[in-house]
Order: sequence, then structure tokens, then C-alpha cells
Amino acid sequence: MNIDVLFDPKSVAVIGASRDPSKIGHVLLRNFIEGGFRGEVYPINPKTDEILGLKCYLSVKNVKEEVDLAVIAIPAKLVPEALRECGEKGVKGAIVISGGFSEVGNVELENELKEVCLKYDIACLGPNCMGVINPLTRVDSVFIPTYKMGRPKLGGVSFISQSGAIGGAVLDLMARQGFGMAKFVSYGNGAVIDETDLLKYMADDERTRTIVLYIEGVRRGREFFETLKGVTKRKPVVVLKGGKTAGGAVATKSHTGSLAGNAEVYEAVFKQCRATEARSLDEVFSFSKLFESQPFCSGERVGIVTNGGGLAVIAADSVEENGLKLAELSPESVERIRERVPAYVNVKNPLDLSGDAGAERFEVAINAMLEDENVDSIVVGVLFQTESIDSRVVSMIVGASNLKRKPIVVVCPGGEYAEVHSRILENCGVPTYTSSSSAVRALRKLVDYSKFVDKSRELKSS
Amino acid sequence: MKYTDAVALVKRYGVEFLEGVVTRSVEEAVKVAEYPVAVKVISEEITHKTDRGCVKLNIKDEECLRGSYEEVVRNAGGARVEGVLVQKMAKPGVELIVGGRRDEQFGPVVLFGLGGVFVEVFKDFSLRVCPIERNDAVEMMQEVKAYPILAGARGKRYDVEAVADLLQKVSKLLYENEQIMEMDLNPVIVYERGYCAVDVRVMP
Repeated sequence: MNIDVLFDPKSVAVIGASRDPSKIGHVLLRNFIEGGFRGEVYPINPKTDEILGLKCYLSVKNVKEEVDLAVIAIPAKLVPEALRECGEKGVKGAIVISGGFSEVGNVELENELKEVCLKYDIACLGPNCMGVINPLTRVDSVFIPTYKMGRPKLGGVSFISQSGAIGGAVLDLMARQGFGMAKFVSYGNGAVIDETDLLKYMADDERTRTIVLYIEGVRRGREFFETLKGVTKRKPVVVLKGGKTAGGAVATKSHTGSLAGNAEVYEAVFKQCRATEARSLDEVFSFSKLFESQPFCSGERVGIVTNGGGLAVIAADSVEENGLKLAELSPESVERIRERVPAYVNVKNPLDLSGDAGAERFEVAINAMLEDENVDSIVVGVLFQTESIDSRVVSMIVGASNLKRKPIVVVCPGGEYAEVHSRILENCGVPTYTSSSSAVRALRKLVDYSKFVDKSRELKSS
Repeated sequence: MKYTDAVALVKRYGVEFLEGVVTRSVEEAVKVAEYPVAVKVISEEITHKTDRGCVKLNIKDEECLRGSYEEVVRNAGGARVEGVLVQKMAKPGVELIVGGRRDEQFGPVVLFGLGGVFVEVFKDFSLRVCPIERNDAVEMMQEVKAYPILAGARGKRYDVEAVADLLQKVSKLLYENEQIMEMDLNPVIVYERGYCAVDVRVMP
């Protein structure tokens, strides 16, 4: 099965393309035309001749040229026949947007769809899904107009989502936060291609550096387990499991049975496979942006630098709470910093540069910590509210982060002004957080994963 | 699964199990007892033996044995009974629970926890999908909050190496015996050197 064709087709047929702007079939077609997709697009609709200036075809079989991918948005009962026609035409991939299959109890229809796809070897996504976004090739089968939902820029995070709704919300947030995305895929019922297939695909995908997975359940537990275990050796996987409390308790007779419910087993699977489990969408972002933008780091010694005394204290608490350590600055860095900051700044870690600090003081401190062998990672707490802080501190931090020597995270709580600057930082690849607890928790996850990577490298080389 | 079969199964996988004899009469019990002993009603129908008064511990002489035997049988009520286990009292140590379950999606999983309140009240346990490797077993122990108790927080350091072995053995057993849906080794008592499993339940 050629999953690649879903992300990089040379030509696309939109089956169920519509002239009515309120219809999914219209939005789909419009997104392909206006989204910058460079391949050929063929609208398929037996009832009309032309949509959005493109010639419309009766059936995919009437298209003379080759069709790589079919995006299907027609009533469920018509889908198997449409897929059969695709198969006869030689279409290699299909994205079935239509719902009305196993999710509403229509298992037979879904089985029929599956049979057709297997017979013609069609790589089929869905049914009941949003499909694919590839910012590189501009394939975009997500049927939400761009004015309602932004599309992320090109980057290294790939997102595999069972749910379309969660997927949509995540895309919109990613776009707003300036997150770079490699590929997005919502696979819905996963009749033909499921989470395990997609995990394998993303592991091999060169553009994907970090994988984010949203699942509510898996189909092939054992294969999923083995696959995930293998994938994390190559790339970090951040996973959010929905529906942990649902599903009703299974009747059990033993102690173990009553303790080890479904949610606990999933947690164990993620731990054992070294996937990073997020407990909320917030954590999905908070973890994946750090994995994506900062260098791996197995060291636990954190340096804290801020222009707010309170922030320094809270950040130090977060470090303790998350089982990391406060770095002890080397005498050289203490000396180095002391020379260039006012005498009333107490040079130690956490380092409170005092409320009148500007970008210069931050620069001195961050550079010293980057050089200091006793410091593994740096938490920069910026209170944008103070008199002497302005946009210069942003360029300074971006410069330091671009060196990629040590992970740098920024904590900048605040309103509009702080937010504007945090967005610039994010756009430049510096992860920002509104609280030190979320920043340090993310850092903890990075350290855990980095330790695992180091360990597996050691094993490999020995 | 019958108690005696369950014991035979775990022993086949090298689990250290505290010896005992399933007796059919009080006279038989008196004959085999090496005091101090415990008596326990063995029945597939009774899940929580202790709660039902079907266990008596630390029996020191024949008179006490006769009384206890009668009492635990009476407390079993009408339950179908395999027999009454007469078991030497285990030496005191730290109580653990090691168990397993077959998950619909992921197959067999193995569980580890410290017995008593740790598992029951604090839900302090860890799980892994079978089969597990050595480092999985070690991590399973380190993951529970009560781990410092084993590692020497209260003066004694318990045999975590032996427990890691045990976890791997149970994992292997679960992995190789697909008919097992659930099992408990509860309690397992760990010492500064070695451990012994005191009770077992296996549900096909």
C-alpha cells in the first residue's frame, strides 16, 4: 500500500465536488485550488459541467489523465461504488471524508469499503475523517475554510489524529502559535490505514522530526506496541489518549484485574515504549514544541535567569517538583556575570537580575550559562511588564537559542504585550510558556527522552 | 483453575512458593502440620478469603489447629471447597503483590505493587506489557512510590534482584499461557535474601 500518495499526489479527483459553497465538496475543491496545490485537480459530479472554473466529470473513470488520489465526500452508501470506480481507473490513494460507517453501527458498509480497497490496493484513509494536510505539497483535504481554521507553516512536527475535531482544533492552534508542521493526518475509523500504519510512515518520513499522536483506542494492540517501541528509538513521540475514563469497568475476579484497567494499561504501554504521554492538549503543545525546537539534553541541572524575584522562586520550586536539579554556577561564570551586572544583583542560581534589568543583563547571564559546564538547560523568565524590558530581549534570546547548545525555554506570563513577544519567540523557534510549572514539566520530559536516546545509542555502539 | 494446579504452574516457571498441603479433614491437617501454621479455605468461589474469615494465621498447637480448622470451614458457608490448606507460617518480610491480566488489545500485562495499603488504598502499582526485559522489571519496582521501603529507607534493603527475577518469570508465564485471563500472587513476601510467594490465584 502506497501511503505516500496521500501526502504527495500529482493529481487529485474530488468526488462529490459541489457548486454550493456551503457543501463540504465545495470547500474541499476550493482548498485544493486556492491552497497552492501544484498538481491537477478534477472535480467529479454527475450533475454539473463546471465548478470553480474547472471542467467537471461524470465519474473518475471519465478523466483521461492519470489520477493519483481521490478525495471522497458523498453519501456513505455510494462510497464503495465510487471506490470501485477508482480501483478500475487505477487510483492509488483515497481519502474518504464521508461519515456513516462503523461509527454509527454501519459495520457492513465499512467492511465493503475495506474489501474494495484491498482488492484494488487503494491506500485509503478514513472513512469519517478529515484526511491530510501537507504544507510542502499543499495537499489539503481538511474541509474547513481557511478563514475559519488556519493552516500551520512548514516544520518538523507530524500530527496523527484519530479524531477530526481534535485535529482541527490542534491545526488552528498550531497555526496561531507559529508551530511548524511536517504532515497532518486524521484517519477517522481507520478501516484500511490505521494508527500503526501511520506511525510507521511518519517514522520513515524524512521531514518528520517529532510525532504527535492522538488516539482514543487502537485496533491492533500488539503491532501498535511493537511499532511504537521501535519508532521512539528514532524520533520522539508525544501521545494523548482520549477516553480514559470511558469504556466501563470490565468484570474482574482478581486483584490485578480490578487495578489494571484499560487506562492503566495504555499508560504502561506508553511508558514501556518511551512515548511521552501528554495529559491534555495543552501538554501536547508544551511538550512537542520543546522536542521540536531544542537540542536533546539528558542533564538534569537547570539554570534559571529572570528579571523577577518571584518568578525565580517559583521556577526553582518547579525544578524541584519535577525532579530536576538547580545548577550550581561555576566560580568562573559567577565572576563573569558579577563583572557586568550591578553590585546589588546576587549572583547565584536562580539568578534574579532584578526588576531594572534590560536585554544586556539577560545576555550576560544567558551567555555565561551557555558556557558553564555545570548548567545543562536554561529557563529564562521574562517579565515583559517592567520598564527596561522591550523587544531587544527577544532578539537576544533568539540568538542564544539558535546556537542550539542547550535547551532554552522562556517563561513569560502576561497580557497583550507579553503575548506579542512570546509569539515572535515561538515563530523563531523558542518555546515559550505562561507558567514555569508547564515549562519545567516539559523540560523534564525532554530530559527523560534524551536519557533514553543516550542509553539506546550506548547499547548500539557497545 | 484449581489451587494445586496453579501452584504447580507457577513452580514450573521457577517461582519460589511457600510449601503447604491441601487437606480434606481435620485429622489430615493435624498430621501434616509443622507449627506455627496457617490454615486457609481453598475455593474457587471465594475471592476474599480473609474478609470472609476463611484464613487463620499463626496457629501454634494442635488444639488451636482443630478449632481454627472448624471455624474457617464454617465461615466458608456453602461454597464449593477444594480443601483446607495447611501452610507453614511465612517468615515476616515486606509484602508484595505480583499479578497479571490479559488485556483485550495488548495481551498479557504484569503488575507489581507493595501489599496492604499501598496497592489497596493508594493504588500504588506499576504495569508492563509482557514479555518484559530485565530493565523493565527494575523500572517497574522503581516506579512505585513505596519503592524506597524495598531499597533500604527503613534500614533493611530487600532482595530487589530476586523480585526482578520473579517479575520476569511471571511475565514469561503469562506470555506463554494464553488461556490465563487473570492471576495474582498475593502476597509475595520479600526478604533481605530471597522471597516466597504465599498465595496464588489463576483464572483461565
